[in-house]
Amino acid sequence: MIEHPELPRPGPGFAHPQARTGLPVIAAWLLLALAVLLHPGPAWAAADAAGPKVAASLTAEPAALTPGDPFWVRLRQDIVPHWHTYWRNPGDSGQPTSISWDLPPGFRADPIAWPVPQRIPYGPLMNFGYEGRVDLLVRIHPPAGLVPGETAVLRAEAEWLVCADICIPEFGSFETALPVAAQTAPPPADRAAAFHAARAALPGESPWPVAAALADGQLRLDLVAPQLAAALAGGDRDGNAGAGESGPRLVFFPDRDGVILNPAPQKLSVVDDRITLTVAAADNAAGLVAEGLSGLLVAHLPDQQGEGATAVVEGFTFTAAVSTQGPGDAAAAGGAAGMNGSGGLLPQALAGIGLLQALLLALVGGAILNLMPCVFPVIAMKALGLAEKAGAAPAAVRLHGLAYAAGVLVAFGAIGGALLLVKAGGAAVGWGFQLQSPVFVALMAYLMLAVGLNLSGLFTVGERLMGLGQGQVGRSGSGLAGAFLTGVLASAVAAPCTAPFMATAIGFALTQSAPLAMAVLLAVGLGMALPYLLLTWLPGALRFLPRPGAWMERLRQILAFPMYAAAAWLVWVLSQQSGPTGVIVALGGGVLLAFALWLWQAARNGSGRGGAGGRSAWRLAGTAAAVAALAGAVALTFTLRPPDGRAAAAAATGAEASRSGAGPEWETFSQARLAALQAEGRPVFLNFTAAWCITCKVNEQMALSSSAMRALFETDNVAYLKGDWTNQDPEITRMLERFGRSGVPLYLLFAPDGSTEVLPQILTEDVVEAALRRLPARSADRADSGLSPGPPASQAAPVIAPRPDHGADHA
Amino acid sequence: MLRLTRRFVLTAVAGFAAVTLADIGANDAVAAEVGQAAPVFTGRTVDGQEVNLADLKGRTVVLEWTNHQCPYVEKHYGTGNMQALQKTATGKGVTWISVISSAPGLQGHVSADKAKALTAERDAAPTEIVLDPEGTIGRMYGARTTPHMYVIDPDGVLVFAGGIDDKPSARWSTVENANNYVRMALGDLQAGRKVGTSVSQPYGCSVKYGS
Repeated sequence: MIEHPELPRPGPGFAHPQARTGLPVIAAWLLLALAVLLHPGPAWAAADAAGPKVAASLTAEPAALTPGDPFWVRLRQDIVPHWHTYWRNPGDSGQPTSISWDLPPGFRADPIAWPVPQRIPYGPLMNFGYEGRVDLLVRIHPPAGLVPGETAVLRAEAEWLVCADICIPEFGSFETALPVAAQTAPPPADRAAAFHAARAALPGESPWPVAAALADGQLRLDLVAPQLAAALAGGDRDGNAGAGESGPRLVFFPDRDGVILNPAPQKLSVVDDRITLTVAAADNAAGLVAEGLSGLLVAHLPDQQGEGATAVVEGFTFTAAVSTQGPGDAAAAGGAAGMNGSGGLLPQALAGIGLLQALLLALVGGAILNLMPCVFPVIAMKALGLAEKAGAAPAAVRLHGLAYAAGVLVAFGAIGGALLLVKAGGAAVGWGFQLQSPVFVALMAYLMLAVGLNLSGLFTVGERLMGLGQGQVGRSGSGLAGAFLTGVLASAVAAPCTAPFMATAIGFALTQSAPLAMAVLLAVGLGMALPYLLLTWLPGALRFLPRPGAWMERLRQILAFPMYAAAAWLVWVLSQQSGPTGVIVALGGGVLLAFALWLWQAARNGSGRGGAGGRSAWRLAGTAAAVAALAGAVALTFTLRPPDGRAAAAAATGAEASRSGAGPEWETFSQARLAALQAEGRPVFLNFTAAWCITCKVNEQMALSSSAMRALFETDNVAYLKGDWTNQDPEITRMLERFGRSGVPLYLLFAPDGSTEVLPQILTEDVVEAALRRLPARSADRADSGLSPGPPASQAAPVIAPRPDHGADHA
Repeated sequence: MLRLTRRFVLTAVAGFAAVTLADIGANDAVAAEVGQAAPVFTGRTVDGQEVNLADLKGRTVVLEWTNHQCPYVEKHYGTGNMQALQKTATGKGVTWISVISSAPGLQGHVSADKAKALTAERDAAPTEIVLDPEGTIGRMYGARTTPHMYVIDPDGVLVFAGGIDDKPSARWSTVENANNYVRMALGDLQAGRKVGTSVSQPYGCSVKYGS
């Protein structure tokens, strides 16, 4: 090895000795002291113009390592004033710090985790690097087969370039010894705090998708990020470092050379929620279109507290495909990339969805709706209707299918239209919103009851009104109306069921322009009608249905019970919304309704004695009384008040808490609580549910109710938050939107390192357990809040970061 | 659709031309771009002669930005790596021009005599040494580091720009196993091949331009 004899050699830096105890530690310390003697070099305190510019040290976070558990080590550089070391992409010149590891067998070191760099201009050039103190973190993965009691010695050769107006390469040899222990040994408090701060300085993954375009020699980055936009608005629009340090600004750091002209000013524009950063592209940047782009966006925001205070600096990593569209086209394309019409933050996954895929998903989701538990009664009705039609003329059957589909589409159109109108009015609503109205829930309960009573034979509407599958196909007029109304009814019942595929599609829809949203909703409707349409239109399909017969009457009677069950469920929903009053109102209304229906039927049957006059008088009186009873039921229903928002929801969920039995203990969701738990460094499992969401309830029963799950949550120290969307709750609606959803269920797992996993909408214990297992570095991060991009909890909350209390997220 | 695409391309080309022209106005320089004609410059050598790139048509030209006090330059000269490359190249008829763009008062700025002394002392073998204290040529080529290397083919086309090798380190030992991009580019030209690696990330000290 040839080395320049005159190169300044820094004294090797070492782990700080403070707070280390125990024999192995003392031994390690002696080893280090010996190393100091063998490698004499000027100490940091004695640094002068001729001496080293960086005092470096290597420190492991834990006092002892546990087999198989990754842990962090830190290469700390204390750089003399006005000198700098370099980021992974050093910019126009320089060299990034590198570490070459010599680790015991089976150990593995991750690449350096780079903290957020700064722009350091030199003449006409621009460098990316660090001044002052920088902590370069590396995660080390020890093998699982280590024997407690052994000592692991980590050796590293590091090289860095430190420059002011001149550059000096420096080298350091480091060694740190760690005892192997069976149990995690938490680091001393000050070291834990220092590592926590170092992790907090790491950039997080951008929760906002970034769209990149290369045109006219300019690289343009677009993102839709409401919180960030709000924080940046009114700030210095010129990301050129050195100037305008005080105002808020956004700076782009490409991961490699040849992307941008490094010294070129970065022009920021903020229009509403949309942030655009434009910078001159590098001369050879054309290759980006094929290769894509990755980099870091760093937001500099002045502290809210005011003048001169430390700026909040937060970095967000991203990757993006690079298009070649001009600014005009980007506005159009931005819709697809940012996918945002309502200020929601949509995850990257959703951003990839185009209209066609959304329509397709909507179609599939609609078809699957037929299988969801809350649509079961509808299937019952349809089955009856189809079986009776097996012998009818094909043309009439087809017409019937069309009428049914039309009914479904009209209903979906109406619901969608209402949703869009309400949304346009600015309310934070989502799919299933209709079930947030107690009046609507009560009316739905009556509807279920009425259908059930009809199936039970209390009354018949025959050809007259709905048909409900009993209509005679031969008499096409009334039969068609019946089929149409069946479609409407089916949709009304099905609409709140957010099927797994539908959530994404409707999430997409609600962020689109009204016509697009409507197209997606209608696709859902079409999907729902599709099986029925196929049965009626495919020649011979009906032959596969059983022949009609006396069994149908029995089946009809049996199918009444799912309807009663649905009614009972809706009353339970109501109990969550409006308490005991709601229950008695709904039950009273139900009794009135049943009475009215019976009376009406009785009057129609003309069972009154006496002559024709008496009979018609009886019929008139009966009908009038029935209408009066019905009106009474409706009037009663409209006395229902939406509950007092949060308080009622809290009361409802609180009441439920005692019933959750063996499952993991949970707390009521709020952004503040989530933030607090994350600051504690705990993983958080978030369950968004609603009393009227059957899927949610089934999932909770299947996956979140056993004592085994409770043990699992406790072992991993996972906090369990439940957000109840039974009633309107803008906080939850915003959270759903951020993840591209417009309805429940939504299950999220926030890892301590800031990453978030969206769990499937059909939950099993295995799914939850697997997700918990994927939590990174459980033991290592239990002591502090991990990589959460933001300052530690003890500091003032930053403005924009993906921090839940400000609306953004660790997506 | 096709028509639209064509319009975008035209717009992009026009826009690019406008930007490029604006650059000329702003920097008095045409940015050097690999695959394009190398910007023509006139420089003053340490012998007081003028050297003009246009006069070197028909010959392969290597430009080397240097600063004898930069540790990365020291690595390549201290190990004899740069001198060996210079001798191989000039032996095959390549014109090797070392350019010193350090501004007066900054590191690496030298008088003509000092430059000649350094060459003798280090046994270096450039064809010419050009002093560029105003940084005119450096900015024209976008030279950012020392060393920063450029290869121009006999037709005057820039065929390589970037770091001299794939070992961005000041450790002298890294010279041994480095893939030297300039050597490879010259080999490609010699063999009549397209230059394989035409761009690499320059590494080292920044060129000491006077602001």
